[in-house]
Formats: sequence, C-alpha cells, structure tokens
Amino acid sequence: MPGLVQLSIDQSCATITLNRPESRNALSFEVIQALSKRISEVAARITAAPGDIRVVVLAGSGKSFCAGMDLKAVLHDPVRMGGMLHELSLSLYALRQLPVPTIARVQGAAVGGGCGLVVVCDFALTHPQARLGYPEVNLGVCPAVVAPWLIKKIGAGAARAMLLSGGTMGGDEALARGLVTQVVDPAQLDASVAELVARLISGGPHALACTKRFLNELDGSNDKAIAIEAAELSARVIAGSEAQDQLARHFQAKPTPQAPRD
Amino acid sequence: MDPTAPTRVTASSAEGIFTITLTDASRRNALGSELFEQLEQAVARAHASAANGETIVVRLRGAGSAFCSGFDLEECAKSAAILAQFVRRLGALTAALRAIPAVVVAQVHGPALAGGCAIVAASDIVCASELATFGYPVHRIGVSPAVSLPTLMATAGCGGARLLALSGEVIDGRRAQALGLVHLLARDEAALEELVSALADEIARKPPEALRATKAWLNEIDGTQATGALGAHADAVTEATASLCLQSESRLLLAEFWRRRKGTT
Repeated sequence: MPGLVQLSIDQSCATITLNRPESRNALSFEVIQALSKRISEVAARITAAPGDIRVVVLAGSGKSFCAGMDLKAVLHDPVRMGGMLHELSLSLYALRQLPVPTIARVQGAAVGGGCGLVVVCDFALTHPQARLGYPEVNLGVCPAVVAPWLIKKIGAGAARAMLLSGGTMGGDEALARGLVTQVVDPAQLDASVAELVARLISGGPHALACTKRFLNELDGSNDKAIAIEAAELSARVIAGSEAQDQLARHFQAKPTPQAPRD
Repeated sequence: MDPTAPTRVTASSAEGIFTITLTDASRRNALGSELFEQLEQAVARAHASAANGETIVVRLRGAGSAFCSGFDLEECAKSAAILAQFVRRLGALTAALRAIPAVVVAQVHGPALAGGCAIVAASDIVCASELATFGYPVHRIGVSPAVSLPTLMATAGCGGARLLALSGEVIDGRRAQALGLVHLLARDEAALEELVSALADEIARKPPEALRATKAWLNEIDGTQATGALGAHADAVTEATASLCLQSESRLLLAEFWRRRKGTT
C-alpha cells in the first residue's frame, strides 16, 4: 500500500508523513512496514548523496499525529503481533540512526507507540491542545519498546514515574516534562517547524552528523539488542491473559485503539 | 524481631496499597537498629505481598516532622562497626525497594536526608511537599553517600547526582523537582496527603502484570537492577563505603560531631 506513509523531499528537507487519517494514523502492521521502508529510503539517499537531505520531519496527516499501535486486528494472533512490535522497534531504531536531525511535527494526539515516534526524534513541536503520553499500563500493556528512548529523552527517573503512572498529558505539560522541545499555537505549527528546519540547514551538515553520531554513541542509542528484546517482552505481556482481557474490554468500549478523545 | 522493642515502623495493607510508616517521630525517624530491622521486615512483607498479587502500590511515609533524617548518629557514635553495618543495611534496603514487584511511592513531607534521601532516590515515584528537604550532608561525619548513587544518578541525572553527593547541599522540594529527584510536588503536607492518596488509588486500579513487567524492564535497562554484574559492583561499593567508616577520619569526625551536638542541646 504505497499511500500509507508518504515521503516528500523539498530542497534539503525530507518529510515522512503517516497517512491513515481515518484511523488517526494508528500503527497497523502495514503502516509500520511502510514507515520502515520510507526510513530506509531516506537513509539510502543520504548515503548515496550526502548533503542532499539535511533534515527529516516526521508528520501525520489529518487531525492526529499518531494514535499508537493498532492492536485490535492482531490481538488474537501472537505471531503477527510479535512481528509488528519487532518491526516498530526496529523502525524507531532506524529513525534514531539517521545521520541528520529529525523533527516530529505533533498535532492532535501522539499516544503510546505514537509518542515513541515523538521521543526518538531529536526535536518535537506540538501545540497546547495536543494529547501526548503512554497509557499502556492502563490497558495491561508494557511500554517496553518506547522505554529505552523515553529514558534517553527525559532521564530514567522521570521515565519511570511517567510509564508506571500511565495516562496522557497536554502539550504544555509535555514540554515541561521534556517530551517535546517546543509548544506553539496550532496555527503556527508549520511555520515553527519550517523555521527550525531552516535553522538546522544553515548549520554545517558534517558537524551535525558528527554530533548526532556521538550523542547516539554516548546515550546508548546504538544498542540494537535492547530494541529487539523490548519488542519480545512487549509481545509476551500482550499475549498474557491480563492484557488480553483488558484490551478486549477496551476495544468493546471504544472503536479506536489506545486513542484518547480530543 | 525483638518483641519487646518499641514500634518504630508500622505497616498496613488495604485494596492493593501496602503502606509503610516510619513512626519514630521523636528521633525524626532516624535509621537506628530498631527502625532498620522493622523497616527491613516491612519491606520484605511488602515484597511477598506484591509477589502474590495482593499489593500493587507500596506507599512510604514518615510520621512527625521528618520523613527520615538519616542514620541514628547517637548509635553510630558508639561504635564504628555499627556505622559500617548501617551502610551495608542501607545498600541492601535501597536494592530491596527497587526489587519489590510493585510501584514504590515515597510521600516526603519533611526532611529526607542522607539515608532518608537514599530511600527516596530508590523509590519509583517521589511525591513531596514544597517544604520537604533533600540532601546528603554526610561528609561532615566522614561518610560517603556512595550506596545511594546508582538510583540517585538514575533519578537526578549525572549532574544532579554529582551536585547532591559532592556538595552535601540540602535543597528544598521545588529544587528537588527541578533536578528530577521529585516527580510530583504539593504545596504543603495536607495537599501532599491528598495527592499521594489519589495517585496510590489510581495506580492500584491498574492491571498489575503490566506494571510489574514495566518496572522489571526499567530496572534492567536503566542500570538500577541489583543483580548480575551491576549488583556485584554495587556490593563492592557498599563494602568499600562500609570499610571507610572503620577508618579514623570518620570515627573522629563523628565523635566530634556528636560531642558538639550534645553540647548545644
């Protein structure tokens, strides 16, 4: 499905857009595979022609950035679910490995795995009315895949308190707690992203690439084994009876998985 | 446990919440032999209760004006061996708090100093009043706060841990929140009580297996798990810190400190 995640390149900025707005860009297996392909495409282009792409923006079309993992269809298929979590975890890892700065443009909601996409990026911009966070434990799900990236983003102690409490928060609180780097008026979101893109492109690409590579080394971002182990753990917990019961009840009550109402 | 010993710690359990209260208010809940022993037993009971699914949240609190003022220096001044033993017990206590398969919530309304601050840093979620104080003012008695460092670095970051552990500075709740040591801040003791009650109730209603798996995973990836190579390293640090207490520097400083304090009160 070519349209599920789009890639556009405008001058030196590549924009990867989740494009499943009718489901608030929930991460189905197909969306995750398409995302993974787009990230590889960008990585390949940067390798082939260094300097062509200097910044990557990650966005979502429609009202919400990303409502999180679409678990409904795979709830009773542990093999497929495991594959899906594995692919998501490796996509986050691949996004982190891109040798250029990455920016998440977050409107509406960024929840669970969707908020994982936010914190794995180097920058994230949102607006005050947005909802961000990790309600996984409320549903009997273990946010293992996002945990390593959240720890690197906001520190281990704050990540512990956030993940064990569950729930979501507004844009201003997300800024105060370090999930995002900037909060602007929703009408200013595109302009603010463009401004940051311009600023990053005005810097030396080699210096930025070196800095990012060194930061990745220092904070343990290159640990692929943890990403794989995290996906396995998360799949194990979801396959358990507690999560199965909670999620079945959740899907009965609400049509969209893991998505708070705006 | 010595059945004739006065009660220094109370424990009670209801609706998934295991509450441990330090009740030695007249000594500002100082970690002395009796309080240590009763706290260790309460933590062990909380662990067992969490492991069999009855406890989802462990709430730690202090009665009186302080959360916990650190080691009972009157007892430590009697013998260097006691001080060294307290260091070992504190190291084991912080590891035990991390290992409890439940969410440990600290409710800090007053001073949480030295060993008291170590208990705070080892908790999963720290709620405090703006009037609470935190710090490791232990160099003046020649003791190193090293046993607290693994969990302190995880909560307050490397920079915050260096500041607190090397300066001995005592900071208030607001500053502790800025450093990351405190996660939720309340205006005063009454607001804190309300905040922690609501938080504990909320977490206790969540599915416990997901919480347990999440805590175990966090322990594994943030380096605060007290088993394997890291556990051995932590044990070595504890031993080194304990043996430091047997040296003359600490003995002299502690005796001097205690003499001065007695003279002024």
